[in-house]
Amino acid sequence: MGTQVKDVVIKPEAPSVLLLDKHADYIAAYGSKKDDYEYTLSEYLRVSGIYWGLTVMDLMGQLTRMNQQEITDFIKSCQHDCGGVSASIGHDPHLLYTLSAVQILSLYGTVDVLDVDRVVQYVGGLQQEDGSFAGDKWGEIDTRFSFCAVATLSLLGKLDAINLNKAVEFVLSCMNFDGGFGCRPGSESHAGQIYCCAGFLSLTGQLHQINADLLGWWLCERQLPSGGLNGRPEKLPDVCYSWWVLASLKIIGRIHWIDKAKLRSFILACQDEETGGFADRPGDMVDPFHTLFGVAGLSLLGDEQIKEVNPVLCMPEEVLDKLGLHPDLLS
Amino acid sequence: MAESEEEVDVLVQRVVKDINNAFKRNPNIDEIGLIPCPEARYNRSPIVLVENKLGVESWCVKFLLPYVHNKLLRYRQRKQWLDREALVDITCTLLLLNPDFTTAWNVRKELLQCGALSPQRDLYLGKLALTKFPKSPETWIHRRWVLKQVVRECSPPETDRKEQNGGEQRDAAERTWLSERLHRVLYDEMKVCADAAGRYPSNYNAWSHRIWVLQYMAQGDLKVLHDELSSMRQWVSMHVSDHSGFHYRQFLLKALVKELSQAPISSPPPKDCRPSPDPRCHQAHLSEQVNGEATVAAPGSPPPSPEEKPSLPAVPQLFQQEMDLCTDLIQSFPGHEALWCHRRHVFYLWHHWRMDHNQHNGQGCVIRSPKLKHANPGLSCRPHVVSPGAVSLEQSENRNGQAHESQDAMEVDGVPDPHCTKRLKRGPPCPPVLPTEHGFVASVLDGCRSPEQGRFALAYRKWLDSVIGQ
Repeated sequence: MGTQVKDVVIKPEAPSVLLLDKHADYIAAYGSKKDDYEYTLSEYLRVSGIYWGLTVMDLMGQLTRMNQQEITDFIKSCQHDCGGVSASIGHDPHLLYTLSAVQILSLYGTVDVLDVDRVVQYVGGLQQEDGSFAGDKWGEIDTRFSFCAVATLSLLGKLDAINLNKAVEFVLSCMNFDGGFGCRPGSESHAGQIYCCAGFLSLTGQLHQINADLLGWWLCERQLPSGGLNGRPEKLPDVCYSWWVLASLKIIGRIHWIDKAKLRSFILACQDEETGGFADRPGDMVDPFHTLFGVAGLSLLGDEQIKEVNPVLCMPEEVLDKLGLHPDLLS
Repeated sequence: MAESEEEVDVLVQRVVKDINNAFKRNPNIDEIGLIPCPEARYNRSPIVLVENKLGVESWCVKFLLPYVHNKLLRYRQRKQWLDREALVDITCTLLLLNPDFTTAWNVRKELLQCGALSPQRDLYLGKLALTKFPKSPETWIHRRWVLKQVVRECSPPETDRKEQNGGEQRDAAERTWLSERLHRVLYDEMKVCADAAGRYPSNYNAWSHRIWVLQYMAQGDLKVLHDELSSMRQWVSMHVSDHSGFHYRQFLLKALVKELSQAPISSPPPKDCRPSPDPRCHQAHLSEQVNGEATVAAPGSPPPSPEEKPSLPAVPQLFQQEMDLCTDLIQSFPGHEALWCHRRHVFYLWHHWRMDHNQHNGQGCVIRSPKLKHANPGLSCRPHVVSPGAVSLEQSENRNGQAHESQDAMEVDGVPDPHCTKRLKRGPPCPPVLPTEHGFVASVLDGCRSPEQGRFALAYRKWLDSVIGQ
């Protein structure tokens, strides 16, 4: 007989209701264990970690529980002379954390805490001749960084600081025969990279360049019998891929192509009833990263207990409304 | 163990030293790992070297990591001075424990730039880190940076290329030495990728790195492409779920077809061609193809006679072999999505190559115009998909409602034979065409006992109808 499908089985006793209070408590307590060994281990991505925690708190209407002053001071101290922001104090600046920093401050409406002109200069300086973006001064190229660049600049209202045509040309050169995108030209399609490229094309007004039916097909094929979504064929389902696939489908106007009820029950089953928070799969250890993407996914699926999330920037719509930022979506 | 801060410092410094001494004692360490051991049981170092394996007892990591972590960050904030040797040791320990610590790799980049570290040593550290953390994105990113330095070192200076006279022989010898060195680096890198791919299935970072290496270090090098395709054949056959491994094969196939389809002999290598391990092999291996007998990895063919035409026959043969392999694997290992995805891409590439080279049909493909028939009329061509993806597939088909008419009109060549997807061995290659593929789907569905296999076969049929048949 056939091979066992790579998927999970959701147990009958798995959580099936949304435990918002537990999640808020989990996130609020997460930052207080600073001497934790795990905390040291993840310091290299601290600013992004703060973005995940704050965004999910905001989506749950609990942002006020976080210490705004402390966070703002920390972000400010992570900006370097070059304008870029590092993951933590003493680390090197990178586009990934520069975007996270700008997202965090946008939630509070205080981007001016950073030297914005220098941020814009930093981002612009990372664009290469072929339109691609390096992640930092050492030159690694990835479509993720193209997304980080245009997302940062869009939030700052400075999209004109880069060569947009060239930037679009590079991202399109990473499109594959299946309608998906990889990290560089010739690389395999990957749901995370697809999210970045679809988000990039949304922010740059180029969504018509996507073959939405073909890409939508590939994305729908990520749904497994458990209802969860994987990031590539024959991989296990994962809450974070549920977000990247779902957000991409929303961006290209094909979110109704998947079974929403089954996905919802998969995401809910990834909650930890005792500790709060979401894990990648039912029964695994929770973390802030999967907690954000679990809650954001439920928002995209229309859960009314959660604020509406923007599929391109993964931030509350109301925050973007205030900025007058409305990234394109296909219908 | 309730250590004071001072005691911890002494302990940790000794462990860092032990780690670096282990590398000095045995330069052939080929794997690192954590030894589960919650408490220090003996009065001995937590660093264990057995044969070529370096183990760290787990109890010491909670002291070791914060120590090296903080030490490096204090240095980075100019709060503490560390000499080069200390930096090399500290970053080595730190990265073996936490290889995604970007800033530590950056410190090593600076050490490399000032000559305190050699590229080889850094590639070696990364290789070891990958034995424990085969996905580590920052380790792969750092490798690409180091490889760029190596390629730069191995490129002859610009002036050498322009000079026509004088010192040419010396330059030639140097170029040979450099190209041999690059070749060794390339070969080692492929081994690192293969090892990491074996340790973690569908390892995106390992496989996209391998693609980068070919693009950067072996652009247009037919021998390397052929060797890779040949060695990957067995690998994918043993890893039939590995979508990334199959994607790599698709990349190789596409690159080979592109090279073989370019007007060979007279055309210079592409302008953006990076220094190839051997500048001559581009020419040499194209020549091997022109006798029309080309098979994958067929070294040592006689040189072509002048009247022989370039290499086009090799392309259908490549596709034929790939489709045959895919058929074998789908039949031997039912229910693997990666195999069906592979079939889509290979058939897509072949279909478009055929469209683009329509004039070259003198290669033996029989030109007939068969009517499209689904071999098994009992099966609806509309997949009754059990997956939640059904909604989308149905809609996609509705949108492409005209697919069937256009299919019949489009097919101009090929003989569909639903139950014989393998060609006779003699005669020129003739890879499948659309009706053959429909025949293949029908043959799979006929008596199919795996629901997954049935689902993938039907999805493939739908893909043929709506993407290829459009």
